[in-house]
Amino acid sequence: MQLRYVFTELGQGLRRNLTMHVAVVLTLFVSLTLVGLGLLLNSQTDKAEKYFGSQLTVQVWMCNGAQEEGAGCLGPVSDAERQAIIDRVDGNDEVAEWHEESQQVAYDKAKELLGDNFRVSSPEGLHASVWITLKDARNYETVVSSVQTLPGVYSITTPKAILDPLYSTINALKYGAYGVGAFLVLAALLLVGNTIRLAAFARRREIGIMRLVGASRLYISLPFLLEAVVTAIFGVALAGGALTAFWWFGIHEKVRESLQFMPWVDHLDVLSAIGWIAILGPVLTVIPTLVLTRKYLKV
Amino acid sequence: MIRFEKVVKTYPGQSHTALDQVSVDIEKGEFVFLVGQSGSGKSTFLRLILREYRPTSGKVHVAGKEINRLASWKVPRLRRQIGTVFQDFRLLQNKTVAENVGFALQVIGKSRSHIRTAVPEALDLVGLGDKADRLPDELSGGEQQRVAIARAFVNKPMILIADEPTGNLDPTSSSEIMKLLDRINRTGTTVVMATHDAGIVNEMRKRVIELEHGRVVRDEASGIYGNQN
Repeated sequence: MQLRYVFTELGQGLRRNLTMHVAVVLTLFVSLTLVGLGLLLNSQTDKAEKYFGSQLTVQVWMCNGAQEEGAGCLGPVSDAERQAIIDRVDGNDEVAEWHEESQQVAYDKAKELLGDNFRVSSPEGLHASVWITLKDARNYETVVSSVQTLPGVYSITTPKAILDPLYSTINALKYGAYGVGAFLVLAALLLVGNTIRLAAFARRREIGIMRLVGASRLYISLPFLLEAVVTAIFGVALAGGALTAFWWFGIHEKVRESLQFMPWVDHLDVLSAIGWIAILGPVLTVIPTLVLTRKYLKV
Repeated sequence: MIRFEKVVKTYPGQSHTALDQVSVDIEKGEFVFLVGQSGSGKSTFLRLILREYRPTSGKVHVAGKEINRLASWKVPRLRRQIGTVFQDFRLLQNKTVAENVGFALQVIGKSRSHIRTAVPEALDLVGLGDKADRLPDELSGGEQQRVAIARAFVNKPMILIADEPTGNLDPTSSSEIMKLLDRINRTGTTVVMATHDAGIVNEMRKRVIELEHGRVVRDEASGIYGNQN
C-alpha cells in the first residue's frame, strides 16, 4: 500500500474541509472538556467521601427522663436498655469504632465549651450518648435502623445534614457536566457525519474510479479514517490542556490553598480523566467514520 | 470468461425487470457488441459483470468466479481483472495523463517502479506517449478516451468493458477508438462493448448480442447492428 498517496489525500482532505474540521475539533474540545470535568468531580466526590467518612459520626442519644421527651422514652434509660443499645452498636458490621459519653462527661464538655452561657443546672438535664464512627459514612442508615426502635433511645443524629447538601451539589455539577457534554457529543457526532458526507462528495470522482479499478475498501476509506483520527487528536489535546489548566490554576493554585483541610483532586486524577477522554475522542470520530464510509463508499 | 445463466435483475421499487432470463456465454478472447435501445438492459448487463449489483435470480460467472457468491471484500480483486471505459471518460481533471493512468495502479497498491514502466507502455499502446504530462483539458475527446482506455488496460485485465465509448466522439475519433479496442482484443483480452453506433458494429463484424426489454432477442456470431428501418 502506498502511504504517500494516503497522506497526500489526508492533507488535501483536511485543507479542503478546513472549516468543517475546525468545527469538529472545537465541538470535541468542549464536549471532552465537560466529560473530563465530570470525571474530575467524580474523583472529588470520592475523595470528599473518604475524608468525611472518617470525620462524620452517628450519635445515639439516650433518654434522660425529662418531661418533654417523645414517645420512645418512658423514663431515664435503664442499665439493661443501655447495654442493649451498646450491644447492638458493637455488633453492627458498619461500625468502625464507638465510645460512650455519660451525662456527666457531656455536662463537663458543654460547660467548658460554653462557659457562662451554659444554663443547664445539672448533668441530668443532658443526654448520655453513644458516638459511632462508621466504616463508610454513606451507610449510616443501617446503623440508624438497627437502634432507633430500641427502648431508651431518645434520638439519633446522623451525618445526613452535612453529607446530603454536599453530595447533591457535587452531583448536580457532575451530572450537569455530563449532560451538557452528552449534547455536545451528539453535536460532534453529527458534525463528523456531515464532514464525511462533504468529503465523500468532494472526492466522488476519485472514489468512483478507485472502486472501478479494484481499490480495497480499506484503501478508499483510509484517508477518511486518518482525518477522523487527526481531528480527534486535536480535540483531545485541547481538552486535555483545558483540564490541566483548570486543575492547576483553579484547584492546585487556588482552592487547595484556601481550603487546605480537605483533600482535592491531584495530578493523577487529572491524568486519568485525560486518559478517558483520549479514548473517548477517537471513538467519537472513528466509529461514525467507519459506519458512514461503509454507507457512502460501498464497493 | 463471462457466463450468464437465466439471469433476472429487478431493481427495488420498479415493476419491470431490467434483465429477464438472460443466458449468455462469452468465451475468453471474444469481442462482443451489446446493442439495444436505451433501457433495454445493456448497462445492467455490464454492471452485473462488475458486480456493482447481484442478480435477483440466476447465476453470473466472471473470470471463473460466481459473483452471486463472491464476498464483498473479494470484489476489488475481481475488478482488478476488469478494465472499464465509459462514454464520459471519467478522468481526474487535476491530474496529468500519466497520473491518471498511474492512479489506477497506485490505488491497488502497485509499486512505484512498476508504475514507472507500466504507465508509459500503456500510453504508447494508445499512441499518447508524447502527451504524458498534459492535463485532460488540453486533449481532444478522442485523446481523452484513449487515456481512459490506457487506464483501463494498464493493469492488463482479462476483460475490458466499454459502455458507449464512442458516444461522445466524432466518426474519425470513434474509428481510432475501435482500432484500439480491436488491438487490445487481439492481445487475448475479452472485450464487451455496449453501443448505439450502427456503423461501427456493421464495420467490425463481431458477435452481436441484442437486448430488448431485458431479453436477449438476437445473438449472432458476426452480426450487424440490426434492422435499420
